Amino acid sequence: MTPYQFDEFFASGLSESVSPFLTPSSRKWSKNLPLKSSFLAAFFLALAFAFSFFHPILSNLFLTLVFFLAGIPAILSAVEDFKNFEINIDLLMTLSAFISLFIGSGLEGALLLVLFEISGSLEESVGAKAKSAVTHLRVLSPTFAFVVDPSGNYFEKAVREIEIGSKILVKAGEIVPLDGTILEGSSSVNLVHLTGEALPKLKMQGDHVPAGARNLEASFILEVTRKSADSTLSRMIQLITQGAEAKPKVQRFLDRFGKKYSSLVIFLTFLFMFILPFPFLGMEGSIYRALAFMIAASPCALIIGAPTAYLSAISSCARKGILLKGGVVLDALSQCKRFCFDKTGTLTTGKLRLLELIPIKTSFSPLIALGIAESLERHVTHPMAEAVEREARRQGAPKMEVHSFSQKAGYGLQGTVDVEEKKLSVFLGSNDFIKERIPAELFRPGEPYSLLLIGEHLFYLRFSDELRNEGKETIAKLYQMGLKPMIMTGDNLSNAQKTAEEIGISEYLAELKPEDKLNLIAKFSEEGGLAMIGDGINDAPALARATVGISLGKIASATAQDASDIILLNDDISLIPWLTLKAKKTTAIVKQNLFLALSIILLVTTPALLGLIPLWLAVLLHEGGTILVGLNSLRLLKRG
Amino acid sequence: MSDSHFKGKEVVEHLYDARLKGKAATSEVHGAELPGHFFSCFDAIKETAILMLILHLLAFQTYLFLIFILLLMVYKFGRSSLLGWIRLQRLHRLIEEERWEIEHHRQQERKELEALYQAKGFSGRMLQEVVDVLMADDNRLLQVMLEEELGLTLEAFEHPLKQGFGALIGVLIAGIVLYACLFIPFGVWIGALLLVGVTAGLSAKKERNPIASSVIWNISLTLLIGLLTIFLKAML
Repeated sequence: MTPYQFDEFFASGLSESVSPFLTPSSRKWSKNLPLKSSFLAAFFLALAFAFSFFHPILSNLFLTLVFFLAGIPAILSAVEDFKNFEINIDLLMTLSAFISLFIGSGLEGALLLVLFEISGSLEESVGAKAKSAVTHLRVLSPTFAFVVDPSGNYFEKAVREIEIGSKILVKAGEIVPLDGTILEGSSSVNLVHLTGEALPKLKMQGDHVPAGARNLEASFILEVTRKSADSTLSRMIQLITQGAEAKPKVQRFLDRFGKKYSSLVIFLTFLFMFILPFPFLGMEGSIYRALAFMIAASPCALIIGAPTAYLSAISSCARKGILLKGGVVLDALSQCKRFCFDKTGTLTTGKLRLLELIPIKTSFSPLIALGIAESLERHVTHPMAEAVEREARRQGAPKMEVHSFSQKAGYGLQGTVDVEEKKLSVFLGSNDFIKERIPAELFRPGEPYSLLLIGEHLFYLRFSDELRNEGKETIAKLYQMGLKPMIMTGDNLSNAQKTAEEIGISEYLAELKPEDKLNLIAKFSEEGGLAMIGDGINDAPALARATVGISLGKIASATAQDASDIILLNDDISLIPWLTLKAKKTTAIVKQNLFLALSIILLVTTPALLGLIPLWLAVLLHEGGTILVGLNSLRLLKRG
Repeated sequence: MSDSHFKGKEVVEHLYDARLKGKAATSEVHGAELPGHFFSCFDAIKETAILMLILHLLAFQTYLFLIFILLLMVYKFGRSSLLGWIRLQRLHRLIEEERWEIEHHRQQERKELEALYQAKGFSGRMLQEVVDVLMADDNRLLQVMLEEELGLTLEAFEHPLKQGFGALIGVLIAGIVLYACLFIPFGVWIGALLLVGVTAGLSAKKERNPIASSVIWNISLTLLIGLLTIFLKAML
């Protein structure tokens, strides 16, 4: 029986919505509970308002329920803030709402609380991040391995209990559980998530294999060289944690502004309480005026100004296939000057493409050679095999029949084909596989080619990663916007240079390990806001550390998606310039809304309190201002 | 090594204590209610019936019953939910502690597993193999320790709010029945005894306890409280 999976529960911070103790059917009661509670409070508020005209007692009864549902969470949060010596807009709103009860403005206070709770819980439900990057990496990392004992039997053992020097069996299709050196067998392994290299690597006896690599073809026995705590995957987990911890805490503009504003209002309230009695008011009157001032300085427009803007922007992005983990991400993105792209899987599709079939001293038709290659590759599943099959289909290569097919795991394929009424032996594979069968002068060691030998005829097959169609245009737009795009890749320098030239990026850094990427991101972040766009596990530490991490929804590993702040659900990187403009526009609208809210305080509410303008006009302008702020935010819903 | 984890006790003693800890964690704060929305409902019916009987015997005015039922509904809903949440928090704390133990005291956890499975009749190589397999996967190990060491059951509890709603429905049922009974001679007596008897019987059936004795005990308790109320009122 499969054991219970606790990882999601722990990663969510012991959330009851995934509690292992609750029956699965009753967990849904926890879903969006604060939001449901705030909507219920809004319903009671509407009843309280309606009954206030003809049944004040019933109105007060409903008001009590509103204060219970919306006020208690606000008090709890305010107490928490106060305990941390944090004076912010939330604390000011809660204080004002409850103080309003004492000066007979309970309905206004309740409205503040309800708006406050609805906006807060809406933002929370949008930005809910139940899973952490490390959890997915832990899921990828096997927890046990098959240890081979001296008599040749193997048994399951926890990876953290396996000592250096132990022998472990890694079966085909499995993730390598611990770093080690191959003792017996050979196979190709996929390191794409660890290093960003799309081409599988052949690993033979004596070669080092890192934990986290996927064994593609055949079983092998590994001698463990590092304990679980020091393995490549464990170091990656440490790097992600380091990256996330070092990430600069981006504060919303509202939060920065709110701290100063709230402190000022609270200070002035106390000041008025003690100053006003002496010139003209009594102590009681001055307290009343000071509290009225505090409530006046906390208008609804201030509460809804930022959340409505963020929610409209988030909704607009969602319609374009962009998932944002909270409104704060937009503020952070608007500050980014540098955009670092990973290469494999981000600027490229991550799929191999057969670039060319180069004939070497042969008059044999390349199209027929391609058909023969396809007939061999048809029997295996491998990224290169898929690339050959795609190209053969595209070029309309003839279908050939292969006989006596066999595969040497990690090396190559062989068989015989009937061509031009002759039976020819064919070999397709690595340099090592073919070199004994060809003259020494044709052998090019170190070239990243596959070789195809048909009888005496030799071909070189060159593969490359496919570039995304939208890449060039995206980069050009970023340059036009005055931003600095660059490439950061774990792939080799020549591939990075080639991609940079094709896509139009002047700055590129290659052969970077995850820790190198993390250090560079940290350095660039200190010079100004930085957005990192990536897809692999090797990008996860950098995505977690960058001012804003952007990952791709379809191709990216779950670890990269969890470490990032933004997910492009359709892998469409051309949305990045649009998103950056949207972020800048959102920040501008939040500032406009705050300006409007403060104008209401200065020009309407305070003069009304002093009796300088009639109350009916003040109410009209006050509510009008709130509506204006809401409408201004709705402009962000536009798709363009 | 064992001092910090086993606190000077033998492994078996430690396991016994852990079981008690698990049992205590699953019970409600006051230890009387059975968990779950279903049982909250039954409990609320019994409690409301008895309370209303007392109020009726104290010559409570009829309209006040309505207010009382409404308030009790809110209170029982809130209290039952809060009790459920307290239990859930405690269970979550236990699971977190157990995970910490697994991460930081693996050798002691291994000894505990050995003791647990020795008690089940495993020994020698077979015992070591069982323990190796259980220790190989942290999720599996945590599940085994929660179930075997602490005696907890996963996915067994209802959401606190669902439990609260059970209590609310209970008060509502009892309130409606007994309010209607106010207008029948001896109606509240009959209604209260009937409600208490039926819910006690249903609870006993669900728990597979003897039904007859449960019904008789509960009805007797209700009668006792009712009669005591009459005599005390007459005396004072």
